[in-house]
Amino acid sequence: MDVELIEIREFLASHPPFDQLTDEALDRLPRELTIRYLRRGTPFPPRDAECACLYIVRKGAIELRNPGDELVAKFGEGDVYSSACLPHDPARNLSGSTVEDSLFYLLPCDRLQALRDADKNFNDYFTQSISTRLRRAREILQDAPRAGGNLMTVEISALTGRSPVTAPPTTTIQEAAQLMTRERVSALLITEERLLVGIITDRDLRSRCLAQGVDYTQPVSEIMTRHLHKVTPDTPAFEALISMTRYNIHHLPVVGSGGVLGIVSTTDLIRYQSANAIYSVGSVRKCQSVSELVQVSAELPELQVQLIAAGASAYQLGQAISAVTDAITRRLLELAEAQFGPAPVAYAWVAGGSQGRREQTVHTDQDNALILADEYQAAEHEAYFSQLAQFVTDGLNACGYINCPGGIMASNPQWRQPWRVWRKYFDDWIMRVDRKSAMLATNFFDMRAIHGDDMLHARLHAEVLHQARDNKIFLAYMATNALTTRPPLGFFRNFVLISDGDHANSFDLKLRGILPVINLARIYALSAGIPEINTVERLKAAADAHSLSREGADNLEDAFEFIGTLRARHQAQQIKAGEKPDNYVTPDELSTLERNHLKDAFAAISALQTAMAQRYQTGRFY
Amino acid sequence: MLERLFSLDYRRRRLAAKTAPGPLRDYLEVPFVSRQADSRRVQCIALDLETTGLDPKADAIISFGWVAVSGSQINLASAQHRLVHQQQAIPEASAVIHQITDDAAAEGESLAAVMADLLPLLAGKVLIAHHARIELGFLNSACELLYGGRFLIPTIDTQRVSQQWFERRNQVYRPGELRLGTLRNRYNLPRYRAHDALIDALAAAELFLAQLAERDGAHPLPLRDFLLRA
Repeated sequence: MDVELIEIREFLASHPPFDQLTDEALDRLPRELTIRYLRRGTPFPPRDAECACLYIVRKGAIELRNPGDELVAKFGEGDVYSSACLPHDPARNLSGSTVEDSLFYLLPCDRLQALRDADKNFNDYFTQSISTRLRRAREILQDAPRAGGNLMTVEISALTGRSPVTAPPTTTIQEAAQLMTRERVSALLITEERLLVGIITDRDLRSRCLAQGVDYTQPVSEIMTRHLHKVTPDTPAFEALISMTRYNIHHLPVVGSGGVLGIVSTTDLIRYQSANAIYSVGSVRKCQSVSELVQVSAELPELQVQLIAAGASAYQLGQAISAVTDAITRRLLELAEAQFGPAPVAYAWVAGGSQGRREQTVHTDQDNALILADEYQAAEHEAYFSQLAQFVTDGLNACGYINCPGGIMASNPQWRQPWRVWRKYFDDWIMRVDRKSAMLATNFFDMRAIHGDDMLHARLHAEVLHQARDNKIFLAYMATNALTTRPPLGFFRNFVLISDGDHANSFDLKLRGILPVINLARIYALSAGIPEINTVERLKAAADAHSLSREGADNLEDAFEFIGTLRARHQAQQIKAGEKPDNYVTPDELSTLERNHLKDAFAAISALQTAMAQRYQTGRFY
Repeated sequence: MLERLFSLDYRRRRLAAKTAPGPLRDYLEVPFVSRQADSRRVQCIALDLETTGLDPKADAIISFGWVAVSGSQINLASAQHRLVHQQQAIPEASAVIHQITDDAAAEGESLAAVMADLLPLLAGKVLIAHHARIELGFLNSACELLYGGRFLIPTIDTQRVSQQWFERRNQVYRPGELRLGTLRNRYNLPRYRAHDALIDALAAAELFLAQLAERDGAHPLPLRDFLLRA
């Protein structure tokens, strides 16, 4: 066969799943087809069908409805209806009609089976569950572009070259310094019976020994750091770097099952271009003024572009951007304390929203609050904390974290309160049980301590978690709020199909794809008393605690990561084009494959929303 | 005029009797489909010819394209595209239209070989073509040339079907509105980029399915409603 039926061959070759077929199979395929034309309003699948067939829409459109007559899907050119050939397809009980005059290519089910038997990739399209497809989609998307080193995937074990230089805790400070000089290392691991007990660095020798006038004949255990951040050899280099940025440390011991394996330093990571970016933006600690911080934060959009180009996932990007924002926030607080003097009572500066969850991208508002120790006396201390909060929130605003439209900021006196008042706030929200309190509470369940006395926040968080878990009606209101935004049904031509026939030219990936997962994860976490804040970590913990099935957790995580990565990539493109990054994606920006994957992601989210609605009977609360 | 009084099938038998044994005679010996038959069930062949000109007496067939239509569906397995070997050079004007060069045509088969394959397929079936006068005229010339006899077939001319549709509704139409592409657009059929005999035969076949679907499904649709009056 030469160019016969080339029009049909080309059409098939450009639509999934036929685009998976080999050239030879595609050459033969047109001859296997028959063509039918159904006028608008004809029942679909047609009642006079002579055999069970797969239908490819060549022109026109069909709508499929469930037995309750709700619109479930709308198919246009290039879409494939295969339910008649798939005995276990849940879509088999859908029926519908053509909504335009339509031309179809029909492939008999037995011919389809022959193609599936002959081609594994093609077969996968029909056999893979939504879970498998989502998992693959996420892998493909996150695997796609990769420039510079692959910091995202390389494991720490690949970077720890030499065996570690160690010494026992009884070594004197001088001996330790001599050993470090001889071995040309900047950090020394202190081990006892092969167990890692501490670390000292060049900086420690300077600041904890010389500067403090400690006698260098003392044992190193006097000045070593005891509370160690460690990594395992299989930790991705990227995560190690984020930990270093987060805790402001330059060395991380690598500990495997057999003991200490080595040490990894920022220098080891800096060879990767993307690490360099994080590190340079992460160097906010050196900034001496708000204007310097503004300059550094101006590099954040470029950081997002670089991380995406290096193949970062949404999770990794969120960790990186949030780590930098945390650092900026801390630096602002340090600058404020330098200007206004030390705080008169202990405080915890907490961040909520995407920063709290460590899911930030460059385009975000600030959400924050101050939890003050109960010694706080408004008459004496109000002025200090008001100044401090104003300084920091203004500074954040100048750095591009625009003021929260809902006013959830520490500069707002309502959200700058002693511990006991916060406790009462949560009491009210949780016990008063109405939708508005539940909505307000939502903002504060994602709070994370950024600076100051962590315990102030930790104690509050632990108590309210306990309280929320035991209040089923409160959870039901939370669930009701969480379910108000449903993901789209899918795509129809260049439109997003919202619900019963509504079309939109573009859609908000955050509102319709990301927030629904965040909201679901928060409720799973609250209902099981899980302290995690990050959505992916909440989902994993929820599956461990059986508050969500493992499959459900995996599906939501994959959907969340897929949508989040698409969004981060969309924003990176806008930044590169000199536009302001946003969350609005138009269907033309997406490949056919991406659309199919998004549709799977929507379906996974929707299924778990439905399950939650049933669990909490949310219908009662509208 | 007198011919109208006789059924098409009567004329077929008369012709068969006058035709010498051979492919044409074999073809003519198979009875035509009844004019009362349900159009949604008849077997048809949609055919398109590319020719060197418009005059069946002077011009030649360059290529054949055909595809079988069975009831209300098209079977692509039956699709064929056949090039005919040319004695004379293809005039430049038609080469431009069909994109068939002399080299390609020189590789074609003899007209006799193609006709010997096509006639058995047409036996007992209905011909579908857009502006069928060309196809009928050239098939007839080919039969006279090869077998010394005339050709006859019940025919659905998709152009004529649409023309009648306009006329029945007293709708004014411009000649351009009866072109294949324009009519297909009216029925929401896809736009084909390539133009060869097979694609055009397929285009006419799809147009016929659309014309068929347009008629009320509750009533029987006798074939005579669609047939070209010869």
